[in-house]
Amino acid sequence: MFKNNKQKKEDKEKKEQQKNEEKPKKEPISPDKNQFLLTVKEKLHSPSDFIVRSVSDNMIVVYVDNLVDNKNLNEIILTQLQEVEETPEAIHQKLTIPEVDIVDELNKFIGDMLQGAAVVHIVGHEKVVVAKISAYQSRGLSAPENESQVIGSQVGFNENLSTNISLIRRYITNPNLCNEKFVLGKQTKTSLSLLYIHGIATEEYVNTVRQRISDLDIQDILDSAVLAELIDDNSKSIFPQMLLTERPDRFCDGLLSGKVGIVVNGSSMAILCPYAFIEFFQSREDQNLRWPIASFVRLLRFFAIFTSIFLTPIYVASLTYHYEVIPQPLLVPLSESRAIVPFPPIIEALLLELIIELLREAGAKLPTKVGQTIGIVGGIVIGTAAVQAGITSNILIIIVALGALSSFTTPNYMMGNVIRIVRFPIILLAGFWGYYGIMIAICLMLIHLLRLSSLGAPYMAPFYPPRFKQWPNSIIRLPITFIKRQTVNSRNEDSNESQQGEKKVAK
Amino acid sequence: MKNTLYVGNTQKFNAFLLFYVVTASQIGVGIHGFQRVLYSEAKQDAWISLVLSFVLAHIAVMVMMKTLDMYESNDLYGIHLDIFGKYFGNFLNFIYIVYCMAAFLAILKNYIEVINTWVFPYLDTIFLCITILIIVVYAFSGGLRVIVGICFFSFFFILWIPPILIFPLHYSDLNFLLPVLDTELKGIAKGVLSMSFTIIGFEIINIIYPFVKEKDKYKRYVHFGLLFTLFLYLSILLISLTFFSGEQLSKTIWATLTLFSIIRLPFIERVEIITICIWLIIILPNLCLYMWSAYRGVLRMKFISTKKFTFFFVLIIFVVNLYVNKRATINMLNDYFGKVAFIVVFVYPFILFLFAFIKKKIKKSQVSKNEEN
Amino acid sequence: MKKTKPILILLICTLFVAGCTEQKILERISITTLLGYDLEEEDKVTTTLTVRQVSPDDKSSLETQSNTEETSNGTSIKVNLQTSKKIMAGQLRVLLFGKKLAQDSIEQTLHTTMMNSEISSSIYLAVADGTTKEIIEAQYENITDIGQHVFNLIDHNVEEQHSVSSTLHEVVRNNYSPFRDIAMPIIKKEGQIIKINGLAIFNKSKMVGELSSEDAFYVIMLRDKFKAGSVELSLPGNTLNHDRDQDDKLEVSIDSIKSKRSINLTNPSTPEFDVTVDFGCRLIELHSNENTGRPEVTKKLEKAIGDKMESEISRIIKYTQEKNSDIFGFGDDYYASVRNSGLTEAKWHQMYPNMKVNVKVNIEIFRNGVFE
Repeated sequence: MFKNNKQKKEDKEKKEQQKNEEKPKKEPISPDKNQFLLTVKEKLHSPSDFIVRSVSDNMIVVYVDNLVDNKNLNEIILTQLQEVEETPEAIHQKLTIPEVDIVDELNKFIGDMLQGAAVVHIVGHEKVVVAKISAYQSRGLSAPENESQVIGSQVGFNENLSTNISLIRRYITNPNLCNEKFVLGKQTKTSLSLLYIHGIATEEYVNTVRQRISDLDIQDILDSAVLAELIDDNSKSIFPQMLLTERPDRFCDGLLSGKVGIVVNGSSMAILCPYAFIEFFQSREDQNLRWPIASFVRLLRFFAIFTSIFLTPIYVASLTYHYEVIPQPLLVPLSESRAIVPFPPIIEALLLELIIELLREAGAKLPTKVGQTIGIVGGIVIGTAAVQAGITSNILIIIVALGALSSFTTPNYMMGNVIRIVRFPIILLAGFWGYYGIMIAICLMLIHLLRLSSLGAPYMAPFYPPRFKQWPNSIIRLPITFIKRQTVNSRNEDSNESQQGEKKVAK
Repeated sequence: MKNTLYVGNTQKFNAFLLFYVVTASQIGVGIHGFQRVLYSEAKQDAWISLVLSFVLAHIAVMVMMKTLDMYESNDLYGIHLDIFGKYFGNFLNFIYIVYCMAAFLAILKNYIEVINTWVFPYLDTIFLCITILIIVVYAFSGGLRVIVGICFFSFFFILWIPPILIFPLHYSDLNFLLPVLDTELKGIAKGVLSMSFTIIGFEIINIIYPFVKEKDKYKRYVHFGLLFTLFLYLSILLISLTFFSGEQLSKTIWATLTLFSIIRLPFIERVEIITICIWLIIILPNLCLYMWSAYRGVLRMKFISTKKFTFFFVLIIFVVNLYVNKRATINMLNDYFGKVAFIVVFVYPFILFLFAFIKKKIKKSQVSKNEEN
Repeated sequence: MKKTKPILILLICTLFVAGCTEQKILERISITTLLGYDLEEEDKVTTTLTVRQVSPDDKSSLETQSNTEETSNGTSIKVNLQTSKKIMAGQLRVLLFGKKLAQDSIEQTLHTTMMNSEISSSIYLAVADGTTKEIIEAQYENITDIGQHVFNLIDHNVEEQHSVSSTLHEVVRNNYSPFRDIAMPIIKKEGQIIKINGLAIFNKSKMVGELSSEDAFYVIMLRDKFKAGSVELSLPGNTLNHDRDQDDKLEVSIDSIKSKRSINLTNPSTPEFDVTVDFGCRLIELHSNENTGRPEVTKKLEKAIGDKMESEISRIIKYTQEKNSDIFGFGDDYYASVRNSGLTEAKWHQMYPNMKVNVKVNIEIFRNGVFE
């Protein structure tokens, strides 16, 4: 707890520093009513939704329409203001609204006003009262669309920061759940929260994330995906190094196993880091299924990754260079299906892969129902027509479709994309240099993965550096009694041993 | 002692990884065709030569580690500088760097030759050389952590070999191993000598020693690594000896690959073609480790940036590669390199140990004298 | 960074230029599965091969090509002049030798085949009764791919141990082994079918004799690890029933369950070998009404079968001794058991015809079906 206080103190100091930096810009508030309205209007470029309501001769309330809760405004503020003494302090005391502040700085209260506050100005005072009654228009909680699961909770994050945090707090009722607030973006002033569980999360990673966020100097930030790319270790890499999830249960699972989370206002995706390569292929649902089934599904997924990446390249390489390797029974059907195809295998494969990608992209951009139709119609019509027209062989259609299907089994959309895209260079290499080309690709990919890190933690963990004890639960899903809470890369040993001990005793 | 290396804890790796480093550095191109030379020297007793050569390797590596243990955290280059002084020490360091480069070149050329003969007869050696160099440089620039990582993963690309050897077992005839010990001792000894090109690689311990975390228990992993390689080589050799008849073996250049070509799996035929391509990842740790060893040596002589070193190293290898392009030249390179490697790996450590031991004794007596005074 | 970018682009360009290699796209090459060599006059060799022509309408046709030239590469160049697609041998399954060529020498052809890394060492070799051209170029009604057909023919017979295994590897191994000779099946065309018609035995690389396909059973029994296989024997008629005439044959068919053979050198100077075969089998067919469940009947039967087998084996060994062809590998056993023998190929071939072999076959009948 002591540490925690210390950190908060540091944060406060930081904020004060920030304030100090902004000091030269500080503009006073005019005590005169007209002057006050003029300056505010000038600041806001006299927008049409700026509303001024006078309560009495000396007192006015200003706010931006649609940002404030009208019910609160009318029933509480306007009625209560009539009965109080006309000083900011008295109003501050009397108003029965959760968040009321007294502000003596122009830019500050304008910022608040834009986030949905009503501002009370009294003639003769250089201070205003800011009552935060924002009515934030947000979509209700709905099932996560990209990461759907059969068994388990069906709730997903929405775009509202406070809703998301309340969702997380509902999952983890724990005083150790720390929530640090940051504001990013000079233009957008987007607020975001850094979440971690004190005592479980590794101090080092928390500090790294905090450091990276506060070092950012950017104009705007509209989504957490952008933030993830800005703060990860190697932004040039094709592989994502942080998880973006829209599932609160997955997010909390991450927090509980010692990861650091970031929730950004206006984005329905939360960031979890550090994340290892293998964890992108584990689904939260694995925990909800019985362990043999979950293990089977996991192994199936690994197999799917392999087929998705290498099946088409192997087809191309075998048919272009290594006909010796094809077993005799396969040789005849293969060569017969290829007999009238005018292109070499590499062109044929690239063409078909492109068609599949086009279908997927078109399907993703269209509304769900139309998208499905496009997928089916496009798949069947184009596929059949291509074979009949003799542009591709039907065996390749099977292979490419299988590859596409397999790539969708990856539980993470970002990683699924990577697996689909990575295929193209490998197909090219296979088309030029056969199996040797594929091997070049494997080597380069392996080296690249070994070089990557997530928040400084090795990306290939627990495979390298090898932590053999974690291997079984990374590849298959062990029965729950065997699982230790800590996952890959988040080891906070001393504090956790005791907790685990308690857990086991409780069981 | 001077010249001691200070290696941060983050740069170090766990001692058990040495097992993978040693196996990965030993298993390389030699495995494709070591049976031929070995057989021509030791006949059906080739396996005795192999076992003897591994016994020798264990002794050599023990001496190396004894020498290294005398210095707390220092590599071969530092020991040279300490024992032989600046000039002669640097000269020896230079020789070791050249040795590393020669090993790099020999591995590269042999692998290219295999690919050209078995898979792509018309593929340009320049192209093969460039692609392999690109991969090596990419791995090398990731630092020791990445190199050790490749060693670790390449180990799993080797593991499928022992089970697949069951297929040729069907054709093997134990009579070809008999009579045991029929060859003269001279032949067996010559066989040990001919193994040196195949067995080397563990001398990396000389350079990598300061980067090992647990200095008290690293030795057993080095020995385990050697034992694993022995197991792999011995199983391949025994199968080859029983699978081929004598004269046939001495005419087969890459006996392991010919051995694999009889395997016919339901989904793949001609396993040897896939084996050759997979071998790229198995020679990769060899190449990276030799390049890294050379880099460590160059760093001792003159501080030079990694980029500059990479550039010059690659340039030299590439240019030399252009001149070594016939089977005969490659064989000559192998022969010479094998002899040099035998001296560097199996003879020199003993000499170095002697010098280090004497130096230590002298120092001790000096210290005790000083204390008396 | 500014400097490295053009270098990188240049490098990638050179890679793609330098890295161009010969493509072997499946449907644009002719894949041959069966290759035959025949000897012509003046030491010329005729090469005959089958090539599958792929057509899109599911009916691929076979095409055969043949040409005569001195080296096999010379022929392959000439054959290429006759086909629209390049001929590749990577999927070769069977290599056939004409009888004349086999009787001359197969050494040269073996060597060239081994040198070619494209050809797998698991292909089968066989001798054609007559010329290979006759077999390959003939029209068959029921055989779509003659290469595959011959391969399957040999493969399943080797699997069931009706025929000696003669993969390229084994043939080359025996050819280069100084104390062992080659044996490979003989293939014959009879009307519309192709069949295995015996066993060709070689002295070094020359074919010197033939054994019938029934004899192959005993050759395998002595030569390889014997696993499965059945044999038909005709025993003397009075084996079980003394009333019957000796010339009235008693037909027996047995199927091996487990067998063990051991060869021991008893006298290095003659040389003399003891060959013991323990043969566990089950009775498949017996043309007699005797109750085989009774122990004394079984014993009689075992004895008779053993005697019959012993005499058969002795006969075969004698035949190979006459032809001086050590297909069983007795020489290897000799070399393996005599220390510092200084045995050479020539020496062994001198010794082999005088070798003495004592054959002992122990038969054990385990079961005899469901109906006695």
